Amino acid sequence: MFVKEAYLHSDVVRAPAQGLARGRAIDAEFATALADELSGAYRLAGYMLADAAEAQDAVQEASVRAWRAWSRLREKDKFHSWFNQILVNVCRSRLRRQSRRRTTDIEEVDIEGADPFRASLARDAIGRALSALSTELRMVVVLRYWGDLSLAEIADRLGIPIGTVKSRHHAALQTLRRRIEPAAGSSR
Amino acid sequence: MSDSDFDSDIETEERLRRFAASTRTPALPEETAALPWKVQTETPETGPFWFRLSLAGLSGRAGRALAGGARLAVTLAVAGGLLFVVSNTRTSGSGAALIEPPTTPRPTLQPGARGGPEVVVLPTHGVVDGVMASYVAGGVKQAESDGAAAVIIQLDTLGGASDAMESIVQSLHATIPTIVWVGPSGAKAASAGTFITLSANLAYMAPSTNIGAASPVASSGQDIASVYGQTEADKVMKDAIASIRSIAQERHPQAVAWAVSTVQNADSYTAQEALDAHAINGIAASLDEVLKAADGQEVTINGAQVVVHTSGATIKTIDEDFIQTILHDLDDPNVAFILLVIGVLCVAVEFFHPTLLAGLIGAFCLALAFYGSGSLPLNILGVVLVVLGIVMLILEPAVPSHGLLTVGGIVSFVIGAVAFYGSPGPYLPAASVAWPIIGVMAAAAAAYGLVIVRTLLALRNRPVPEGVGLVGSQDEVVGMEGVVERDLDPSGTVYVARESWSAILEGGGSAPRGTKVRVIRKEGLTLIVEPAK
Repeated sequence: MFVKEAYLHSDVVRAPAQGLARGRAIDAEFATALADELSGAYRLAGYMLADAAEAQDAVQEASVRAWRAWSRLREKDKFHSWFNQILVNVCRSRLRRQSRRRTTDIEEVDIEGADPFRASLARDAIGRALSALSTELRMVVVLRYWGDLSLAEIADRLGIPIGTVKSRHHAALQTLRRRIEPAAGSSR
Repeated sequence: MSDSDFDSDIETEERLRRFAASTRTPALPEETAALPWKVQTETPETGPFWFRLSLAGLSGRAGRALAGGARLAVTLAVAGGLLFVVSNTRTSGSGAALIEPPTTPRPTLQPGARGGPEVVVLPTHGVVDGVMASYVAGGVKQAESDGAAAVIIQLDTLGGASDAMESIVQSLHATIPTIVWVGPSGAKAASAGTFITLSANLAYMAPSTNIGAASPVASSGQDIASVYGQTEADKVMKDAIASIRSIAQERHPQAVAWAVSTVQNADSYTAQEALDAHAINGIAASLDEVLKAADGQEVTINGAQVVVHTSGATIKTIDEDFIQTILHDLDDPNVAFILLVIGVLCVAVEFFHPTLLAGLIGAFCLALAFYGSGSLPLNILGVVLVVLGIVMLILEPAVPSHGLLTVGGIVSFVIGAVAFYGSPGPYLPAASVAWPIIGVMAAAAAAYGLVIVRTLLALRNRPVPEGVGLVGSQDEVVGMEGVVERDLDPSGTVYVARESWSAILEGGGSAPRGTKVRVIRKEGLTLIVEPAK
């Protein structure tokens, strides 16, 4: 199940055990660029995955992927959106795996002692409703409202047509509204 | 979309926006933030090859499949390249490449330019193929430039490829008298061998030798028909008949009907019968007798009548060189079969345990097998059955079928091996794989499937030993002891199995750096630990 993460993890963590730097200068440009992204990435990953540990792993995985692909990134000034894309991909595959593994409604989750993201979401009905969205819809919503991205940017990050983003966005809003106002009923 | 829908969408949007803005993001834990560039000190992979490898490592199954595909492509490319090289060698072997510039014709012979007359002997054996063609061509050329009184091709063959045969027939139209001797006793000049024998200026056969079709029972016409279809069979047969007719015509008008019967009816004749039909010039039990018999005979070379002087000539034997011998031996029906089986098995190893080495060896074997079988009446159906059998045997461990695949694989393999060579046409030799070899190779393939593939599969699924990468892929860290690296409060990191892990102390509380802990369980990549006693 965790082969991929373990691979990354061990790759990353084995190095210090082996005595760290092998005389290689660290790419300062990459380090600087990545440092600016981390907290934003953590926020996005956290609210997408609603799990701090998962989000940390996701950020880490995305960072390692970015580092491996760094030399192939031609336009370094596009680092932000490029890194975002990687992160979104990582989160997407993690979300899919999660949904395959367990289908827990946020209401059923023990909020006491839960992680900060889940706790934060649980404060408001709309946050709880968010957890019930499908992977696709949820990603659009988080990118839109937590990532402050335009629909066009979301289309770019997810690698899907903007029309699809629009319809997913709309569907997400509808679903959220139905869940937070069950008594009001739907206008259909 | 109705207005109310739209309004409530905006309302929901606004609410989401406000909510999102109100949510806080906890600080990213230091170790996560610090990891990528403090620790990952290896150079990012740049080259396409390493990129592919890293891809294989990174993206799991799909990446492995991709890398596997790439390897297979490389293997096939190498096999194709080898095949290309080998087949080119073969083409060049059938004629000009190995020979010096053509020597000027010598209409009159100068027997004994240096002492007594010299006769060059070229002993041949086995299948008529490109190697034999280049050997004969080279030998005849050398005999010509040496000023030999004649060149004798000692023949013992069951037949072979028609292009090689034609090339030899060409070589026999030399500037010196050419003699074919089918010998020693027990030798055969079958199929393509018949054409070669009749093409020489003089032809002799040893007692108890045969000439004619390779398979006296079956009608070769029907046999090709079963492989190529009737039209093609008719065409091949007509060509062969026309060819043997013109060759026989040059020898003796009475030999024509006889020669045609060897092709048309797949008849086989003894030396005496051939002599009676005026197809050969005489019967000679040894090379010395050939020299005696040929002496004083009149032959036509380049339209001129030439008298052969071979009596008391010294015999100079030119043997195949080392490479020719090896390549020639590949045409052995058994060798070609064994090479094919080994090749398929090696390529299969490459599938299960990619090392490139096995794939290359397999590709090499396959190339050699197909080179070798070029002069043999390979039966595609037989080859397919053999390969299918091997595939079934290999799949047995991977797809449990309670032995059905093994039984089916062996049956398919044996049937394929028996039918590996089809029936010969007018030129190709009758060939078959020897039973003991079928048995041994079937056993080898079955053992391969049962033992090697199973072992390789087990190897692949084996738990990775501690400390050798990929530790997290197994749960074997559970139960191990480690040391707290960053204070557990209750979460922190511990050092277990030569790796750092995020860890949580079971039941809360805290543990300072250096505390010994034991792993109770693993949740994702986080270890749940308790103080070790």
